[in-house]
Amino acid sequence: MITVDTKAAEQGLIGTSPPRLDAWEKVTGRVVYAGDMTMPGMLHAKILWSAHAHALIRSIDTSAARALPGVHAVLTHADVPGPNRYGVAVLDQRVLAQDKVRSFADAVAIVAADSEEIAREAVERIVVEYEPLPGVFTIEDALAPGAPRVNDADNLFQHTTVRKGNIAEGFAQADLIIEHTYRTHSMDHMPMEPEAGLAYVDSMGVLNILTATQYPFRDRRQIAPNVGLAMNKVRVVMTPVGGGFGRKDDITTEIHAGLLALKTGRPVRLVYTREESLFALTKRHPFTIHYKSGARSDGRLTAVEASIYGDSGPYLSLGMYVIKKAGIHATGPYYVPNVKVDTYTVTTNNLIGGAMRGFGVLQIAVAHESQMDMLARGLGISPVEFRLINCLKPGLTTATGQVVNEGTGIGATLLRIRDYMSQHGLEWSR
Amino acid sequence: MKKRGLGVGSMFYGIGYGFNRPDIGAAHVEVAEDGTATLFTGVCDLGQGIQTLLAQIVGTELGMPISAIRVVDADTGSTPDSGPTSGSRATFVQGQAVRNASLDVKARLFEMAGRMMGVAPDDLEVADGQVRARLAPERHVSVVKVVDEMHKQGKRCIGWGWQDITTKDVDPLTSQGDAYQTFGWATQLAEVEVDTDTGFVQVTRLVSATDAGRAINPVGVEGQVQGGAVMGLGYALYEQHVVEQGRARTGSLAFYLVPTPLDVPEIECLIVEVPDPNGPYGAKGVSEPATIPTTPAILNAIYDAVGVRVRTTPATPERIFDLLREQDTQSATVESPSVG
Repeated sequence: MITVDTKAAEQGLIGTSPPRLDAWEKVTGRVVYAGDMTMPGMLHAKILWSAHAHALIRSIDTSAARALPGVHAVLTHADVPGPNRYGVAVLDQRVLAQDKVRSFADAVAIVAADSEEIAREAVERIVVEYEPLPGVFTIEDALAPGAPRVNDADNLFQHTTVRKGNIAEGFAQADLIIEHTYRTHSMDHMPMEPEAGLAYVDSMGVLNILTATQYPFRDRRQIAPNVGLAMNKVRVVMTPVGGGFGRKDDITTEIHAGLLALKTGRPVRLVYTREESLFALTKRHPFTIHYKSGARSDGRLTAVEASIYGDSGPYLSLGMYVIKKAGIHATGPYYVPNVKVDTYTVTTNNLIGGAMRGFGVLQIAVAHESQMDMLARGLGISPVEFRLINCLKPGLTTATGQVVNEGTGIGATLLRIRDYMSQHGLEWSR
Repeated sequence: MKKRGLGVGSMFYGIGYGFNRPDIGAAHVEVAEDGTATLFTGVCDLGQGIQTLLAQIVGTELGMPISAIRVVDADTGSTPDSGPTSGSRATFVQGQAVRNASLDVKARLFEMAGRMMGVAPDDLEVADGQVRARLAPERHVSVVKVVDEMHKQGKRCIGWGWQDITTKDVDPLTSQGDAYQTFGWATQLAEVEVDTDTGFVQVTRLVSATDAGRAINPVGVEGQVQGGAVMGLGYALYEQHVVEQGRARTGSLAFYLVPTPLDVPEIECLIVEVPDPNGPYGAKGVSEPATIPTTPAILNAIYDAVGVRVRTTPATPERIFDLLREQDTQSATVESPSVG
C-alpha cells in the first residue's frame, strides 16, 4: 500500500511511476547477470581462501595444482605485477596474501581452469604452510595492552570526538537519566546475486571487466595499478546488479578475474558461491555502544553522552567513515544542547566490516531510539509526543552545530505516524 | 500467551559522503537527429530503479516520453564518473546532475530554435517533440528540425551537467561543522505479537513514514521502503553472522536466516514530502532512511508487548525467552519480603 501526501504541482514526469526501463527483461528472465555471461574460450576461476584467522604464511606450493590437466593458471602474491594493495579508502588489503593472513576472508591463491570443477580441485591441491598467530576476536581483546596486532598499525585505527555545549551541566539539568550498553551484531548484505565478474583482454590490449559493482570508476582506480596497466587500458562495465546494499562498493571479483585474464589471454569468469559470499567480503560492523541520555520532566532532552566501538575486522574498507558517521548521528534526529560522543574504529581478526545500507546509523539508532522510548515512558509522555517535542525543526542545530534547513521533515513523519495511529485506533499496551 | 505491542523508530541520515570526500555527479545528454535522447550516466542501477528515475528527469526537462529516452550507464569506457551508488546519494546528487545536463542541452536547442523562429530563447518551451513560443504556441518548430539544422551548421545537440555536494570535514576535535548538505528523515511504526511461551516475535504491522522531499517516482520510493523495512526486520529478529574465533558459523543459508514472506506483514508506505532546496525538484535520498527505523521500532514494540528491553541484537526467541524468565525472577524477588 502506498500513500503520497503531496501539495506539489504536477511537473512533467515528476511524481509519476512509469514502468521501469529494465522491468520487462527482468520479469521475463531475459536479463543476463555476470554469473550467466559466457564467451568463447572462457575459463572459470576459483579462490583458495585462508585457513586461519591470523597466521604467517611459511610457504605456498602450487605445483600439484598446476600439474592438473585443464588448469591454465595458478597465481599467488608473487604473480601480482602491481603493489598488491587495494582498499576503498586505505590501501590495506592484499590482492593475494603475502606473508600473513589476517582473516578467513583473505585470498591466498587463484586458479583459472577449463571448468569450475577442475578449478575447485586445483585449489584443493595447493599446499600452504602456515604458522598460526594468536588473534583478536573482540573489541575488548583488540584494545587490551599487549594485544596481538592485526596490522602494522595499532588496533585502534581511529578515535573521533563530538563535543557540543557542556555535558556536565546538561546532565545536571536532567530530571531523568537513562544509561545502558547496547551490542549490535554482524549482518550479511545478502544480495540475491552473489559476487560475479567476467574479464577479457580485447584486440587493442584493453582489459575489460564486466562486473556487478556499485562504482566502476573506483574499481578501475584499484584494478589498474595492481594488474600493472594504465587506467585507460582498463575498462570496467557494470553488469545488471542483483542487489548491492554497500557490499559491491568494494572490490569483489574484479582484480582476481583481471589478473587471470591477463595471464592466460583467455576470458575468465569468477562467480562466488553463496557460501563464499557469506564469509568473504564486507559485512555490517558490530557495535558496542555505551549510551547515556537525560531529559527534563517537561520532556526536553538535555544531554547525550555516548561511546561507540565498531569492529572493523582486519581491514578498514570504509569502516572509519561508517563509525565516524555513527558518531555524528548519535543523538538521532533530535535537538540536544549538550553532547559528548567518542567513536573508536577497532581492527580485529573477525569478518571484514564495510559499507552496508544504514552506514553505522542503523546501529546507533538501536541505541538512541531505545533510550528515547525509555525516557518517554519514564517521564510519562507518549513515545510519539516525546519525539515530537525533541525533533529537529528548521533553524535548530544538530550535534555538530549544523543548522538544519527548511527541508527538515522529521516532525512531518512523526505527525503522519500519529495520524495513522489515531485513524486505526492503535493504542500502546503499556 | 501471545501479547501485542507497538513501537516507533525515528532517524535522520546525512545524504552522501561528508568528511570532505568528493561527492560529485556528472552526466551528459544527447538529442539525436530523430528527436530521441540518450542519457550517459555513471551511477549504477542496483535494482532500485535509478535508470528510470533519471530518464524521468530528462523527459521532464525535454518534454519527451520515457519511450524516447535511452540510458547508457556505469561504464568507464563511455559514461562520465558520477560517483558511486551509495550513501542514498544517487537521486539527490546524480538527479541534479542529470537535470543540469538536460537544461544544458535544452539551452542549445532553444538557441537554435530561437534563431530559426525569431523568438528569444528565454521565451521558448518544449513539449511533445515541438519547441514552442511560450506566449504564442501556434509558433513552433519540431525538435527534429532544430537538431537537423544544428547538424547542418556543424553543431551537436549535447548537454553536460554536474553537481557537487562535497562538504568540508567537521572539526577534528569537536566535530562541529556542516557535516552534510542535507539529511533524510523517517519514522516507522511496528506492531508485534510476542509469544511469551517461546519468545517468538511475529511482526504484524509495519508502517513507514518516509520524507522523500519530492517523490520523483512514488512506486520506486515504495520499493525502497519495502526492501528497506524487510532488511531492518531481518536485522531486528533473524539475520546474524555468528562469528567464533574469526570464523562465521553461519556459513550457509541453512544457518543464516533471512525473512521469508511468512515473516513479513504488508508494509504500508506513507510518503511525506518536505522539499529540500538542494535536491532535484526537492527530492532526497530514501534508501537508507527506509531501513534504519525498522529495527528500533520492532525492539520498542517488543517492550510494549512484554516489558523487556532487548539491548543485544538480534531479538531471537532464545534471547526474549531468557529476558522474560529474568523478568519473572525479578518480580518474584520484589514480592519475596511478604513471603518472608
